[in-house]
Amino acid sequence: MLRVEVETARAGLALGFEVAQGECLALAGPSGAGKTTVLSAVAGLFRPERGLVVCGDVWLDTARGVDVAPERRRCGYVFQDYALFGHLSAWRNVAYGIDGGDRRSRALALLERFGLTERAHARPAELSGGERQRVALARALAREPRVLLLDEPLSALDPRTRAAAARELLAVLRETGVPALLVTHDFAEAAQLGDRVGVIDGGRIVQLGPAAELSARPASAFVADFTGAVVLTGVARPGPDGLTAVALDGGGEIASTDAVFGPVGASLYPWEVVLEAGAAPSSAQNHLEAEVVSITEIGGRARVALLAGQPLVAEVSVAAVRSLGLAPGARVVATWKAAATRLAPR
Amino acid sequence: MSWFTALLVAALALALAFLVLPVVAIFVDAGPGELLASLDDPGALDALWLSLQTSLTALALIVVVGTPAAWLLATRSFRGRELIVTLIELPLVLPPAVAGIGLLAAVGPRGLLAPYGVSFTLSTAAVVVALTFVAAPFYLRQAQAAFAAVDPTWLAASRTLGAGEARTLARVAIPAALPGLTAGLALAWGRALGEFGATLMFAGSFQGITQTVPLAIYERFSTDFTGALGLSAVLVCVSAALLLAVKLGFRAAR
Amino acid sequence: MLAGCGGRSEQLTVSAAASLKSAFTAYGFEGMRASFAGSDELAAQIRQGVRPDVFAAANTKLPDELYAAGLVEKPVVFAANELVLAVPADGRVTSLSDLTGDVTIAMGAESVPVGAYTRKVLDGLPADERAAILANVRSNEPDVAGVVGKVAQGAVDAGFVYRTDVRATGGELRAIELPPELEPEVAYGVAVVKGAEHPERAREFIDGLLSGAGRAALDRAGFLPPPGT
Repeated sequence: MLRVEVETARAGLALGFEVAQGECLALAGPSGAGKTTVLSAVAGLFRPERGLVVCGDVWLDTARGVDVAPERRRCGYVFQDYALFGHLSAWRNVAYGIDGGDRRSRALALLERFGLTERAHARPAELSGGERQRVALARALAREPRVLLLDEPLSALDPRTRAAAARELLAVLRETGVPALLVTHDFAEAAQLGDRVGVIDGGRIVQLGPAAELSARPASAFVADFTGAVVLTGVARPGPDGLTAVALDGGGEIASTDAVFGPVGASLYPWEVVLEAGAAPSSAQNHLEAEVVSITEIGGRARVALLAGQPLVAEVSVAAVRSLGLAPGARVVATWKAAATRLAPR
Repeated sequence: MSWFTALLVAALALALAFLVLPVVAIFVDAGPGELLASLDDPGALDALWLSLQTSLTALALIVVVGTPAAWLLATRSFRGRELIVTLIELPLVLPPAVAGIGLLAAVGPRGLLAPYGVSFTLSTAAVVVALTFVAAPFYLRQAQAAFAAVDPTWLAASRTLGAGEARTLARVAIPAALPGLTAGLALAWGRALGEFGATLMFAGSFQGITQTVPLAIYERFSTDFTGALGLSAVLVCVSAALLLAVKLGFRAAR
Repeated sequence: MLAGCGGRSEQLTVSAAASLKSAFTAYGFEGMRASFAGSDELAAQIRQGVRPDVFAAANTKLPDELYAAGLVEKPVVFAANELVLAVPADGRVTSLSDLTGDVTIAMGAESVPVGAYTRKVLDGLPADERAAILANVRSNEPDVAGVVGKVAQGAVDAGFVYRTDVRATGGELRAIELPPELEPEVAYGVAVVKGAEHPERAREFIDGLLSGAGRAALDRAGFLPPPGT
C-alpha cells in the first residue's frame, strides 16, 4: 500500500491519499496543477515543505527528518517523454536498473514479454513511439518496484497506438499487483486506466472515486467540466446517408459522422445530449431510450445519470429537469446529433 | 549579379584570401622536402615531443578536475554561482602576457604561495601550469554547457533506477554530453598547443625542458626560417585536425 | 607604421635592440615610433621585407650582414656596452666561477647578440668550467629583457645582461663584472634602412645618437662611447 501526503508552497499543493496493493489511482487535473510534483515527491526527486510517503517503509517524513534518496526507494517511474537513455540500446536501458550477472537475460526476458525481442539492440531514436513507451515501461518494471509511477502514459502516442498501449498497460497493472499512481490531464485516460480517479483543483483533491461516479455525480462545477465525455462502446460499419452506424454493446444503434469502422468507443459530451419525454421527433439523429439513475444539481445545471444498455450522462438545465418531471426511475429519450458523436478505435 | 551581391562576394573573397594565405604560405614558401628535412634536428623533435607531453598532461589535469567542477556548476544553483562562472572564464579574455604575470605573481619564485612551498621555476612542470591555466576555461565552459544540455529527466530516471549521483554522472551524463565534452577538449588542446606568451614569461625557453613548439618557432625564426616553417607546418596540421574534431563533436551533439 | 597624415612632424620608425629601450625613449626624438626586441629578430624582419627607417642592433655583426645584403646603408657604431653578470641585490653569487656550483642561470639564445656575447665569454673559459656553467642554464631567452626578467623574478640565481640593463632596474639587480680578459667588445651599430620612408629624418636621428640629445641619453643610461673614441 502507498500512502502519500504532500504540501508545497511552490505549487500550492495540499493533498493526501492512499493507494491499495494492485490498485491504480489516477490523479487528473489541468496542466500545471502540480500532478507531476506529486509523482516527484513520491519518487524522492522533489522534497515538499511538508510530506509523508510510506510504501512499506517510510520513504519521506518531513516531520521526523526522514528523506530517503531516490536511488534507495523502489519506484518504477515512467516519464512523460519516457526519458530513455539515447546512448544505450533498448535492452541496456532496461538492464540499467538491474544488478547482478544475469541482468542481460532478465532485460531480454522483459523485452520479450512486451514483444520487443527484435528491437532489443535498437537505440531509442530508432524506435517508434509505441515501442519507446513499452521499453520505458519494461525499464520501470525491471527493478521489481514497490510502486509504479506513470506520468501521462498515453498522451505522447497517436490515437491508434494509444488503444493498444492502454490495453497493455491495464494488463501490466493487473499483473504486477503493486500500487500504481498515474497522473494525466485527460479525464478519459484517467477513467480508462484508473480504478479510482482523483480530480485536482487549486492544489487539492476535490473529488476522489470511481470515474463513473465523478462523471455522474460531480462534486463541483469544475469536476463537471473536467469529466467531459461519456464513452459508449460498440461496433461501427458504414450506414445510410454516408453516416457510420454503430451497434452499441447492450443494445441500441446510433450514427456518427466519423468514418471509423470496427470496434469503437463513441464519445459525446453530456451537454450535447437533449432529454425528451417520448419519441417525439427532433432534428438530432441519435435517439436512445434510457432510464434515469440519478440527478445531481450544480449551479444552474443538472447532471443526469442514465442507463441505456450502457451508462450515459446528460447535462441539462435545472428547468428542463423540472419540466420533464425527471426523477430516478423515469424513462426518457436521450437525443444528440450524429456529428456530436466522435468515434475512436477500441 | 546585382552590385550588392558582387560586394558580398568580394568581401568573402577578401576575407578568405587574408585568412588562408598565411597558412598556405607556410607550406609553399619552402618545398615539402625542405620542410621535412628541417624537422630532422634534435631541437625540433625535442620541441614536438615536449609540446605533446605538456599539452597532454595539462589536458589530463583539466579533464580530471574540470569535469566534476563543470557538473557542479551545471546542475546546482547556489549563491555566487554566476560570479564563480565569470571568474573561471576570466583567463579566456586575459592576454597571454597578463596570464604570465599572474602566474608569476601567484606561483612564481616570489609569488603569493612561495612562502608555503608552492612555486614553480623554469621547469616542465611550470609549462604544464601555464598551459593548464590558459586552456582550462575552454574546457570548463564547453563542459558546463554540455552538462546543462543533458535532459534533466534522464538524470531523474537514472536516480529512480537505483543510481546515485556519482553513477548517474558516469553512466548517463558523461555519455550524453560526450560530443560537447569532446569539442571542449579539442579547443582546450588547441589552445594549450599554441600557448606562447605565458609560457615564455613563466617557464622560460630551454630546449627539451620548456621550449615548446611555439617557443622553438620563435627562436628559429631569425636564424633558421625554414626550420620555423617546418615546425609551423606541423602545428598547422595538428590544429586543423583538432578543429575537425571540434566540428564533428558539435555536429554529433545536434 | 602610420603615414604622416594627422601630425605635423613626420613619424620615424625605429627597430632597436631591447637593451636600448630606456635610452632611446629618453632620447625623446620627435615622432619616433620604436619596436624593441632581440636584434636578430628585427634583422630577420628586415630580410623578410619589413622597412623601418632605422635599425639599431646590439652588435655590429647584424648591421654589417644587412649592409652586405644591400638592405641597409653603411652602418655606424654609436655606442658600446659591457656584458655583466646580473644577480638579485641580495643574491649569493659573487663571481663568474660561482656559476659552476649549484646555481641556476639565464642567458640569451644563441642567435641574439647578448647570447652570442655570453657564449664568447664562456668559450674563453676552460672546457670543464664552461660545461659546468652551461649545465646550469635554465632558459635561453629571445631577448635580454627576458633574461633581466628571469633574474628579477628570482626564477634564476644569475643572468648575463648588459650593464645598462642592471642600471635600469634601479638597484633591484646588482652587476658583477666579468674578468677583463673575457669581456667581449660589445659595440652597437646603427644604419638607415634602404627604401625607408623618411631617410632624412633617419640620418638626423643617427646624428643625434652620435653627438646630440641621443648621445646624452645614452650616457645617462650608462652606455659607453663607441670603441676607439
